[in-house]
Amino acid sequence: MANLNVNSVTVIYKGNRIGIKDASFKAEEGEIVGFIGADGTGKSSLMHAISGIIKFKGEISFGKYVYHSPKEAEKVKKYIGFMPQGLGLILYDRLTVEEHLDFFANVRNIKMDKNFKTYKQKLLHMAGLSRFTEREAEHLSGGMRQKLSLICTLIHRPRLLLLDEPTTGVDPLSRLELWEILDNIRKEEGTIIIVSTAYMQEASKMDRLLLFDDNRIMASGTSKQLTDSVRNYVYKKTPCKDTDCLELHNVTYSLKPLNSEHKDPTLEDIFFINALKNRKKLTEISVSKRERRLEIPPIVMEAKGLTKKFGDFVADDKIDMELKRNEILGLFGANGAGKTTFIKMLLGLYPIDEGELTLLSQPIRSGRDRRKLKSKIGYVSQHFALYKNMSVRENLIYFASIHQIPASEALRRIERYGKELGFSDYLDAMPKDLPLGINQRFSIAAAIIHEPVVLFLDEPTSGIDVIARHQFWQLLKLLKEQWGISILITTHYMSEAEYCDRVVLLKEGKKIADDTVENFYKKHPEASNFEEIFLEYYREAN
Amino acid sequence: MNIGVIKAYILKEFKELIRTRMIFIVYAIPIIVIVLFGYGIKLDVTHSRVLIIDNDQSKLSRELIEKFKHSKYFNATELNISESKALKLIKQAKKDAVIIIPNSFEKRLIKNQKVNIGVFIDGSFPNRARTIENYIEGVIIDDLQSYAPKTSISTNVININPRSLFNQAMRDEDAIVPGLIGFVLLVAPAVLSALLIVKEKEEGTIFNFYASPISKEDFLIAKLTPPFILHSLNIFILFLIAVYLFNVPFRGSFTLYWFSSELYILISLAIGLLVSVVTRSQIVALVLTVVITVLPGFLYSGMIMPISSMSQESYIEAHMFPVMYYNHIIYDTFLIGEGLNSRKIILYLIILTIYASVLFILGRLFLKKELKK
Ligand SMILES: Nc1ncnc2c1ncn2[C@@H]1O[C@H](COP(=O)(O)OP(=O)(O)OP(=O)(O)O)[C@@H](O)[C@H]1O
Ligand SMILES: [Mg+2]
Repeated sequence: MANLNVNSVTVIYKGNRIGIKDASFKAEEGEIVGFIGADGTGKSSLMHAISGIIKFKGEISFGKYVYHSPKEAEKVKKYIGFMPQGLGLILYDRLTVEEHLDFFANVRNIKMDKNFKTYKQKLLHMAGLSRFTEREAEHLSGGMRQKLSLICTLIHRPRLLLLDEPTTGVDPLSRLELWEILDNIRKEEGTIIIVSTAYMQEASKMDRLLLFDDNRIMASGTSKQLTDSVRNYVYKKTPCKDTDCLELHNVTYSLKPLNSEHKDPTLEDIFFINALKNRKKLTEISVSKRERRLEIPPIVMEAKGLTKKFGDFVADDKIDMELKRNEILGLFGANGAGKTTFIKMLLGLYPIDEGELTLLSQPIRSGRDRRKLKSKIGYVSQHFALYKNMSVRENLIYFASIHQIPASEALRRIERYGKELGFSDYLDAMPKDLPLGINQRFSIAAAIIHEPVVLFLDEPTSGIDVIARHQFWQLLKLLKEQWGISILITTHYMSEAEYCDRVVLLKEGKKIADDTVENFYKKHPEASNFEEIFLEYYREAN
Repeated sequence: MNIGVIKAYILKEFKELIRTRMIFIVYAIPIIVIVLFGYGIKLDVTHSRVLIIDNDQSKLSRELIEKFKHSKYFNATELNISESKALKLIKQAKKDAVIIIPNSFEKRLIKNQKVNIGVFIDGSFPNRARTIENYIEGVIIDDLQSYAPKTSISTNVININPRSLFNQAMRDEDAIVPGLIGFVLLVAPAVLSALLIVKEKEEGTIFNFYASPISKEDFLIAKLTPPFILHSLNIFILFLIAVYLFNVPFRGSFTLYWFSSELYILISLAIGLLVSVVTRSQIVALVLTVVITVLPGFLYSGMIMPISSMSQESYIEAHMFPVMYYNHIIYDTFLIGEGLNSRKIILYLIILTIYASVLFILGRLFLKKELKK
């Protein structure tokens, strides 16, 4: 029996920064253990320690192997599969999908027999990559990269599998398939699986959850046990002005009993209640009016038959779309459906192969047409493009200078956004030292520093914790109300559809639905959430 | 050693090198450098050691000597020895040039009669010799011109008689091209190997190494083999360019040239390896490698200045870098052909081997299979 035993493991970084403190837990063969918690609470540090790739204090044992350092962990590495956090971090851009699988198999000394080939096909199928085995990783979509990394990690059938946010940026259908695979592996092979995730719906699929906070393991138990532990604090929305209270869009949390009806708690609620208990005030996000008034046309973006081809492959196929003034439009679709490609065409990062595009009443035919509009458009890419070697402030100054905003004005705006969006304290920090949620807020600041009229956001909430996501959407709502801004946003969190005025569904490069969220629910009365609606569209045609 | 794993890694490296077009750089840069520099290297010479024999001991001659003493281009000394003794000093590489002022220098000048100044220059490095010659001429003419307005001396009465010693038939190419090979084979492989590991750190793929059971040794072998193989081909390419494009004679043993070049490439790769284990970004690795290879590669190759004519400090420094040893060997294989009959060459081969081993051991020691905190 190869059980995992983690005994008071501590990871401390340079400058006495604590990664994880005194973490202990056990896992049995075939068990799936989930790590949940806000960004920066030590989930990755603990995973690194268990995978034997960082120095730690304490003791870890797996089966008969005991280790206290990366060096001692060498002997268990052949049983371990570890996938680090980040979109396809472990992929070699210039190798194809197939070459990746063969490389990872060879590095692990896997015999390339019939068994291997069958398993490989199965994994490829699960990842939806069977048709793309010849494609280089560089040309895969974000989610496709993530899925390829995942199957590369699975290829040697590890006995101890550590997955650091493997489903970030992965679409709902693939997530379901992924969980099926994980479930099979652990049943058939007794693999211990440790997964961190930001999708709380997934957490309910795990045998046991460890809740991380303040760089410790704060609680552990099944999803039900954990939610039950906060049951008493969760109420249906009621006004409450106390400091022990927190009021969100459809729920109220209170540490003191309220004279009001309880609501069924979810795992997400745990995060807010934790914050409340620790007296961590959620940063109040605010947005003041534009500094310059603007005339905005009623239709901000109009695409007619936009098409993008890569060789024979049609990534976007004759897509029509409209983005209205003061509207949040959600662009949903499976991995590789063509969302990023579409946004890149709007921005001119990819040439448009066919179709017509009008931005702010200006038909776009040439680079010159675009340059005129540059100051009216903001964009945040799927991988936030911040400069690693510059502080937050320097980054923002740089972005301001691109838009020729005078220095004094830029500095003033940076101060203001810092306050309003709650990253004042981090202005002089380097992006890599910041929690993802803060980074993402300041990426938005970079995208709106020139007060654009329209904002294109590509998966801005992927990999960000529950609270940061909540605040992020608050910010978008405020931008819309205060600035009359229009937003085109992609996301794989189906629950975020509720924040959108309208949703467009893409599938294999084609638009398959375009409606208000209300109407979606009307058309699918049996659905209890947007994920079910989404899955229905995707399963229908199959 | 796990051959299967190493093979997989090597295959991957080759694919990446080819698909990222890096392979062109592997061959284009050395060829460009050797062709460009081979055709025209010209550098300032400073502090060349000049011996002046003053047979006149007049006011004018002493003033001329002062001019030499005050020029930054020369380390001039005045000695009253015989011409043959002076020439011996050049032969022993203790002096770069000898200037002989004839006994009736002042008298003849004032009378506007022709004066012959004898100049002997060490010709082992033709470019350098020519530069020194030009400078000497410059100082003398400049000196005379300062008199010209006051006196009736015209500058064309001076006749400078320069003679290059020992190497009268030697061509620039012969002196420079082998040195360039030593330069190129130090810089290019180092840059490539430095980038190959740091790139994985920067992009995150290094996790695959950290988290897998592959041993550090296997990883290093796998990482360094492709640059080693690719650059080994450069040994032949550069040889062909030297011999057929620049017509440099090849008098020694090709095997010795080949073997010592492979050894030298290993050293270069190991330097790159050391850089890439201590740095975290490609740009830093690149700059660092260039700094620690280009400068010594150039200065101590013996291309610009013979090692023997260096000041004490640079003489010691030259012996600290591998370039000098290798260059001694290839100059021999190209121009002289003493080969293994020379004790010095055997000694130098041993030194290069030690060099390579030490660097690899250091690289292996510093290579961490874990995240830096
Ligand atoms: N440069 C390229 N060359 C070839 N194919 C490409 C290229 N860029 C994108 N593709 C392909 O186009 C399709 C659409 O990719 P896109 O990035 O738009 O997907 P997406 O909808 O954003 O997916 P995700 O949700 O995973 O981010 C994918 O199949 C992708 O592999
Ligand atoms: Mg995308």
